[in-house]
Amino acid sequence: MTTTVQAFAPVSKEDLAFIGTDPIPTEPYYRSDYFELEREAIFKRSWIQMGHICEIPEPGSFIVRAFEAGNASLLITRDRDGEVRAFHNACPHRGTQLVQVDGGKRSRFTCPYHGWTFSNQGKLLAAPEADKFYINPSDCTLPAVSVGVCAGFIFINLDKSPRQSLQEYLGPLVAELEKLPHARATTYSEYTYEVDANWKLTYDNFQENYHLRFLHPRSGEAAGGPQNPYGYPTRYGFHDPHRSQTIWSNPDAKPLPFQAFAFGKGARHAMEAGYKLEDKEYFGIFPNLFILGAAMTPFSQCIMPIAANKTRSIIRLYWIGEDDSASKRFAREYAMATALDIHCEDRAVIEAGHRGLASGALSHLHFQSQEVLCRHLYNQVDKRVQAYKAELENRGASE
Amino acid sequence: MSLENMRLPTGFDALEPFVDRWAIKGANNRLQQRLNSQESERASFFNIGKDLVPPALELLDQKPLHELDEKEQRLMDLVLSLAHISLAVEIQRDHEPAHAESARHITINRATSDKDTNLCN
Repeated sequence: MTTTVQAFAPVSKEDLAFIGTDPIPTEPYYRSDYFELEREAIFKRSWIQMGHICEIPEPGSFIVRAFEAGNASLLITRDRDGEVRAFHNACPHRGTQLVQVDGGKRSRFTCPYHGWTFSNQGKLLAAPEADKFYINPSDCTLPAVSVGVCAGFIFINLDKSPRQSLQEYLGPLVAELEKLPHARATTYSEYTYEVDANWKLTYDNFQENYHLRFLHPRSGEAAGGPQNPYGYPTRYGFHDPHRSQTIWSNPDAKPLPFQAFAFGKGARHAMEAGYKLEDKEYFGIFPNLFILGAAMTPFSQCIMPIAANKTRSIIRLYWIGEDDSASKRFAREYAMATALDIHCEDRAVIEAGHRGLASGALSHLHFQSQEVLCRHLYNQVDKRVQAYKAELENRGASE
Repeated sequence: MSLENMRLPTGFDALEPFVDRWAIKGANNRLQQRLNSQESERASFFNIGKDLVPPALELLDQKPLHELDEKEQRLMDLVLSLAHISLAVEIQRDHEPAHAESARHITINRATSDKDTNLCN
């Protein structure tokens, strides 16, 4: 007796052609001058995720984050009223980075250079020899940065007057994101790695499933199946400048015995928290964050550009509540180690892609229809870069 | 081994030979141990440990984590190491050496299991 495999029909190339069909120029993926334009046009003007509210759970909590693409270090605090605030981590006296640790609990910050002291609301509280200056101390607050929170994620915007609030920027995705386990998270696991590759190449690796069967033959075995060998998603959504997709669940997945045991533990905890295992929504938040809303691996990856050819990935699995049993601790460790295994299989090929493009051998690259999210990212980036270049030209013409 | 020398709770003596190498504090240390281990030692640990994980968790689940005694904590650490090692033995199999090369570039900065170990940042 033979069984007929019901073929999965991915979203058709005709239905996705509106995002574009042309080859994509390669220079934006490796040239330093293009990266400098991205820095100004995108990273200094967009909402960028810097952390999660669970990192600053109470008044006095603070975190410090490096943000190389914005040429900035950010100090993010929770003040005595519970309000989240963000500042440039720079003393207004002579610019020295005020806080040298990653985070902690402190309601005031003293500059190591000359002892100027600030509250976690950014006010100057004390400056030695203040009467010898020619300034009004109230003019010497820490430089404030716009900050917003959605689904627990803390975003900052270096634009002095952001064109949109965070909620306007995220638009219809706000309601979707707020439903995710991340929004209720109280703790997280985190691993990081750097690649010698452009940030868009790094991001693109996580925006298409075309590569899974080649790069993840073992760890990604369950991602594809007879119905859908490449594991293509069931849906794409475009919410300019953001993207989304619904991850396909393989009905024929056959986890190995120990894997099945570990996943079973994780599944039980996810269901106890009220999440459905079949919900697997992916949100690509422009420019450099993606969030996987899977109940068992509530995951985010922040892709931090360091230079045109260097990128740091910060991967987190967000959890609701501390480990309250050995089984939960084991299931979370297994989930983290599983995600990490998949990431390390991607790393080398991302770097190989950068080397190939940076050689200048190719003028263009090609995205198939199921790599449409990569194309959408490029479109959104280049639109902003071209608008910024026009802005510079107009500025030059009017001067 | 006499009863007073047992380093694990009763019923888990088959895991005693693995305590020195695999009862490790810290998720990143467990990852590093996986990457620095030999195939034969991973296989022997997994083959003996895999069937003992369900009863180990059943035992450990009976107490809040912060109340685990030394023997129970050691067992917990072995179970957590098996989470990492199982991926090498059961999932990666002969791909593990190549896989480990890339994994060396990754650092676990924080895991929920680090909480009671003074390793959590």
